Amino acid sequence: MSSNIMILMLSVSTFLGALGLLGLLWGLRSGQFDDQSKFIDAARYDNDEDFKDAVAMDEKQKKQREKEKNYRPVD
Amino acid sequence: MANVKCTHCGLIFDESAMIIEEENGKKIFFCCHGCEGVYHLLNSEGLDSFYAKLGNTTLTPPKNSLQDDLERFDMEGFEKKYIKIKENGTKETNLIISGIHCSACVWLNEKVLHKTDGIIEATINYTNNKAKIIWDGDILKLSRIIQIIRSIGYDAFPYDPAIQEEQATKQRRDYYSRILVAVFGMMNIMWIAIAQYAGYFTGIEQKFKDILNIAEFILATPVLFYSGWIFFRGAYYGYRNHVVNMDTLVAVGALSAYIYSIYVVFSGYGEVYFDSVVMIITFVLVGKYLEVLSKKQAVDTLDSITSSIPTEVLKITKSKKELVAVENIKAGDMLELKAGEKIVCDGLLTIGSGMFDESSLTGESIPVYKEVGDTLLSGSICIDTVVQYRVTKEASDSMLHSIISLLEEAVTKKPRIEQLANSISGYFSTIILLIAISTFIGWYLYDGDFEKALIISISVIVIACPCALGLATPMSTLVGISVAAKRGILFKEASFLETMAKATTLAIDKTGTLTHGNLRVVNEKYYNNNTANISLIYALVSSSNHPISKAIKDYILGSGSKINDLQISEQKTIQGKGIEGRYKDSLIFGGNEIFMKEHGVEIIDTSTYSIFYVAIDDKLIARFDLKDRIKPESKRTMELMTDDGINCIMLTGDNEISASNVATEAGIKDIKFNLLPTDKAEAIDNMHKNGDIVIMAGDGINDSIALAKADIAISMGSGADVAISVSDVVILDDDISKVEEAYRISKRTYRAIRENLGFSIVYNIIAVPIAVMGFVYPLVSALSMSLSSLIVVGNAMRINGIKFDKDKK
Repeated sequence: MSSNIMILMLSVSTFLGALGLLGLLWGLRSGQFDDQSKFIDAARYDNDEDFKDAVAMDEKQKKQREKEKNYRPVD
Repeated sequence: MANVKCTHCGLIFDESAMIIEEENGKKIFFCCHGCEGVYHLLNSEGLDSFYAKLGNTTLTPPKNSLQDDLERFDMEGFEKKYIKIKENGTKETNLIISGIHCSACVWLNEKVLHKTDGIIEATINYTNNKAKIIWDGDILKLSRIIQIIRSIGYDAFPYDPAIQEEQATKQRRDYYSRILVAVFGMMNIMWIAIAQYAGYFTGIEQKFKDILNIAEFILATPVLFYSGWIFFRGAYYGYRNHVVNMDTLVAVGALSAYIYSIYVVFSGYGEVYFDSVVMIITFVLVGKYLEVLSKKQAVDTLDSITSSIPTEVLKITKSKKELVAVENIKAGDMLELKAGEKIVCDGLLTIGSGMFDESSLTGESIPVYKEVGDTLLSGSICIDTVVQYRVTKEASDSMLHSIISLLEEAVTKKPRIEQLANSISGYFSTIILLIAISTFIGWYLYDGDFEKALIISISVIVIACPCALGLATPMSTLVGISVAAKRGILFKEASFLETMAKATTLAIDKTGTLTHGNLRVVNEKYYNNNTANISLIYALVSSSNHPISKAIKDYILGSGSKINDLQISEQKTIQGKGIEGRYKDSLIFGGNEIFMKEHGVEIIDTSTYSIFYVAIDDKLIARFDLKDRIKPESKRTMELMTDDGINCIMLTGDNEISASNVATEAGIKDIKFNLLPTDKAEAIDNMHKNGDIVIMAGDGINDSIALAKADIAISMGSGADVAISVSDVVILDDDISKVEEAYRISKRTYRAIRENLGFSIVYNIIAVPIAVMGFVYPLVSALSMSLSSLIVVGNAMRINGIKFDKDKK
């Protein structure tokens, strides 16, 4: 085994690991880990019904944004 | 009659007491109309899959109480305080949802809110049941949102997250990311270190060793400087205050091992110690993180008290009644109080009389009767009537406000008893640093070789590095905590074991801690031995919800007497005296002595208990003696604690007579009675002034300030949320003998800590001189380090053999 291969293996694996670490840190900063129980419990109720809910919620928010766009102050 | 389950809440009741309905040919049962209503609502909304998700969890039946306070959520003062209006016109608020038992409840609440028109975003935290809701203010009001949540059997209060929660969350995230980096670095360095060790024994070429060394160096650097930053900061503050602490030792130990290893990397001579650098940082950091976690929980429940305070009160002026923000109320104003409302300003009752629930002030569950001229304290709740009172203190000076601000202060400023390991490590690190410096000077003068002198002096620090010393405390407390947990005692933080072992005084609450906390009938007497009227007595007490009536009702039910269903008409409750009603042509009434005398009934016997007499027309038919029974283990526990040299003091909000009764029964000599929550806290402060280390055991909101001030706070698992969250130790099954067990475990653990510290000092006395003489070979140091750690771990395991008083019987 040449030392070059060893350097390559070490750096590639550490780099890949570091990517995972960065992903975790990003998730942490954006508040995805603030609720420990949601992690474990919410997965049990995850079905297409909830997916539909999320879509409906999204649409509500979109509508709200459109409403703002069309809003003109009364002159 | 069979017991059946309520279809909604899952609680089990007798079939005869249930509301029965037919659905699809099957009988379904409800314990109350509240449950029935929610069940039908969920069915019609298509949310009945909730029950499948719920499983075997039971719910609290919804309260269909007199909640006409909805309009308060839409008032201006309230909106200013709790609702944020965003730029785009949407509104945002934070709510605490109460009544949530499991994740299915969270699911249901989110679902119902999502279905509501105008709600743009609703997320509920599964852990602390706090919700963030964003909605369109044009479509619906906050009161409607609260109403929706109430309609499915939960309740919600707004709170202001800005105060402490945001800061706590930020700190938690900060620690978490530092730990993630540390764990990542540690795990990677570990497998590289395996290659290093394997290479050491089988022979490894220097060029491969160099590569591994550099890889370890790259991984260890962020761990030391990012994750370990907290220790450098702590060491710096320690230096500023002229204290050498555990942080100093960790920082100096890790940094010197790091510098030594860098030297090895570049000189190619010796072995690197990057693995010990990251290990020390990671383990000690995780310990610190656990402390941050427990602090956050206390903040969570504090918010729920603050949010239950009304923001507006009904002020009476000459001409009219109007709702005024609490901040604008001055001493001398007249206020009106409705049934079910919480008092916000202390005052004097001027018109009316009624029962007041003072449990959050005194801990007593029995309502107190107040009439014109009596003082009303904020925090108590008016139960059943409308009264008017004159404000004597503004809200900000009132009892309730001072309780909350004291509590907030006490949570953040908890006394800290210095830990043994900390104080020893202070001396230890100073001595080691001095030895290292003199080693360097000595070798340099003796040998003249600067490099060699430096290496040897650093190896002194590395050898003495707090491996055994650092493990001495955590290993022992870990075993101690797990032994305690097996017995239903939860220590929230490892260091509490050591603090508890040093305690000198036990302050204990009466109601709910020493006693069961509710009234029970201890004695009955039927005059002329005539028990024929038992059904009548049962019917009479069933008509009232007062704790005394309930206790008698339970007692009659439990005695197995045959009861006929009788109807009593014209039933009336006379505040603070008793109850009366009519059966056929005779008047039946029950109550205390004064009530009997008013009706012209002669009372001859006396008793130390609370007595409930029952009479028909002018003839006494029965009497019941009631009292709050002391828990059977109380006496033995107090005995054992006193034997251990602990000074036991009872602190209670109750009056002198019942306090001294319980104290004599439990064998407590020192009592303080008639204490308000602030007085209890002051009592703890006074003990501190005398140099005592205080354990406080309690269960109610009224104990919480005292709990937060005590060095060790023990709460009963069934106690108030606030009491549990400010306390350090929780006894899950309310068994008072566990107080003594917790103390015993603490003492045993403390002994193990001292033995371990003693051992690691002996180890250092042997190892450091060898290092000073320059005889440190990597193999010797690796062996001696792991051997010393093993001994420390083995000694800690011995804590498992502890014996308890209960098991001996």
